[in-house]
Amino acid sequence: MGEAFTLAVSAVLLAGFYSAMAYGLGLIYGVLRIVNLAHGGIIMAAAYLAWQLFDRFAIDPFLAIPIALVVFFAVGVAIYLGLVRFIPRGPAGGVQSLLLLFGVWLVIRNAAYLLFSGNEQVIHTTYATSSVSLLGGSFSVTRVAVFVVALVTLLALHLLLSRTFLGRSIRAVAQNPESATLVGIDVHRVYVISFGLGTALAGLAGVLASTLFAFTPSFGASELLKSFVIIVLGGLGSVVGIALGALVLAAAEVFAVYVVPPYLTAAVGFVLLVVVLVLRPGGLFGQRVLR
Amino acid sequence: MAVLSLALTGCIPGRDGDDSDSASGTPDKIVIGATLPLTGTESKTGARFKQGYELAFEMENADGGIDVGGTKVPVELQLLDDTTDQAKAVNLAQRLITQDRVNFFLGTYSTALVEAQSTVAEQNKIPYVTGGGAATSIYAKGYTWVFGTLAPVANLATTEMEWIAEQQAAGALPKPAKVALVWENTSHGKDFRKGVQDFATAHPGSYEIVTDESFALDGKDFSAILSTVRAAKADLFMVDAHLPDFITMQRQYLSSNMCHQLITYGARGTESDAKTALGQTGVDYILSAVWWNKQQGNAGLNKEFVEKFTAMFGTAPEWYQALGYEAARSLFTAIARAGTVDKAAVRDQLSALDMDSILPGGKLRYPADKGGQADYPFVVQQNLPDGSSPIIYPAEVATGKGVAPNPTCHG
Repeated sequence: MGEAFTLAVSAVLLAGFYSAMAYGLGLIYGVLRIVNLAHGGIIMAAAYLAWQLFDRFAIDPFLAIPIALVVFFAVGVAIYLGLVRFIPRGPAGGVQSLLLLFGVWLVIRNAAYLLFSGNEQVIHTTYATSSVSLLGGSFSVTRVAVFVVALVTLLALHLLLSRTFLGRSIRAVAQNPESATLVGIDVHRVYVISFGLGTALAGLAGVLASTLFAFTPSFGASELLKSFVIIVLGGLGSVVGIALGALVLAAAEVFAVYVVPPYLTAAVGFVLLVVVLVLRPGGLFGQRVLR
Repeated sequence: MAVLSLALTGCIPGRDGDDSDSASGTPDKIVIGATLPLTGTESKTGARFKQGYELAFEMENADGGIDVGGTKVPVELQLLDDTTDQAKAVNLAQRLITQDRVNFFLGTYSTALVEAQSTVAEQNKIPYVTGGGAATSIYAKGYTWVFGTLAPVANLATTEMEWIAEQQAAGALPKPAKVALVWENTSHGKDFRKGVQDFATAHPGSYEIVTDESFALDGKDFSAILSTVRAAKADLFMVDAHLPDFITMQRQYLSSNMCHQLITYGARGTESDAKTALGQTGVDYILSAVWWNKQQGNAGLNKEFVEKFTAMFGTAPEWYQALGYEAARSLFTAIARAGTVDKAAVRDQLSALDMDSILPGGKLRYPADKGGQADYPFVVQQNLPDGSSPIIYPAEVATGKGVAPNPTCHG
């Protein structure tokens, strides 16, 4: 019972990081119907930004989150205005957007190699190995903090999308851009903001990742894949679904150790992906519309 | 241009570097081809091996070159960047061997790249010496042209177990000891596991392996494995992991308030990155083992290597540079002993090699029964709270005394 409780808490904490990792990918797909393959590169770049801020200016990674959000919002807007907006919307632009954003990822990765080499980088905060006790179990302070940030992000996104004009505009464009235009919504502006917001969320995930893991310029590939699994599990385009999808993936990976050898637990998510795509292509929670 | 061509004694490809000797029967120069991951994920390690090669070539040419049948012949390195890419490592090796017609080959770094590239050398029947492939699977294929300077990772585990056995004999560690064995699911991890298992089998009644779990690379959460380890109530926590997984696992281990009488992550623990990531207290008393350490450099060949390396690069060498240096030096020695650049003759000399070495044990051989892979003990180190990591085993190269059981464990 004690072991199961510890694993359950670990799964919930891991789900916090996973959901933060997937929000950006889900938002951009939900609004623009584009799979942002540069997502992994942005996560990696944000981890390096956090490391530089910590190393040069002693700014704690959690305090660096606002900086990362602003920087990567601007990066996202620049990528959209400079590249993505020239791609046709809809199925015609599908392959083009994949190739274009994959290219952006390669550029970001190679730029990181040039700037920082292939050395592993880590951030060691004073609380990196500290723990908090909860009902007899000990849990990493950093993982708890990451979970709290992910939860706040979920609430903020939910409020943004449900309680603000911008959020309602984003949802309207996600549902039907032509109709949104007819009611006076500036669809182009919504696209720009959504891409910027999605990129900023990827930046947030990168900062959080930098507090948990060592990273190199090749960091981000498995994060992209898992993010993709999560948004499919949660229902493409649903923010709450993304959080639930992250919880399902994290629980599957953590508890799979009871069923399969630990080295196979990383594959459990991909098996889930195939099963869900076959049986419930709309996601476990069946939501195709951003909300 | 993606491919970086470097030559230490000139940038001209060695088209005249084949077996066609000059009128005197001796070539004007010997060209040795090589690739290393100078960019990409293994660029840091590739650059270190390059330094080892450069020093070996510099020292050999400073003396006029390799003595081939009484004539000093300069040796030239034709080094290309394989960008940490298997296909590129294979293609560049093919190009160096068949188009540039290099005389001999020094291998690349990382098991995956060496595994692929060594096949090209075998197919083209060219002596291939690598300091960068430790997996026994590379040498279990029956190849006769491939030689490896890195001892098997199983030896890493064996050497650590020998030190542990000494502590058991001294009453510092329990006997029998319960071992929690956790390993990455790679050839590296499998060899480590084999080393521990074989040692335990060879010493019945001394060890009980209570956990035997593997994990995939780049794990994001090790709580399930650590939970299993905790439940097993082991005395020794023995893990084989690369740096990113070591950092993630050790952080979770510490924040779970776990503690064992002995803890090791294989080769991990002494590097500055580990101390940066975990803090000094996070790495205290971790046992580790590597193929070579600069603390061995107090006398003889080691002293010469450390001094010349430091003078040339302004920094102290690590095992990567030492292994690159020894790979090149063993090839030079074989060429000199063959007295010719005939590939088969040099291959035979490599097979029969028995030379003084900077590596632990003081001798470098490529035994046929190991498939051409060198076989020597590792040097065991332990992190101490004062920030030092002395060699604690084998006794003949020890620079300090190890501590067991882990004094930070209470109860």
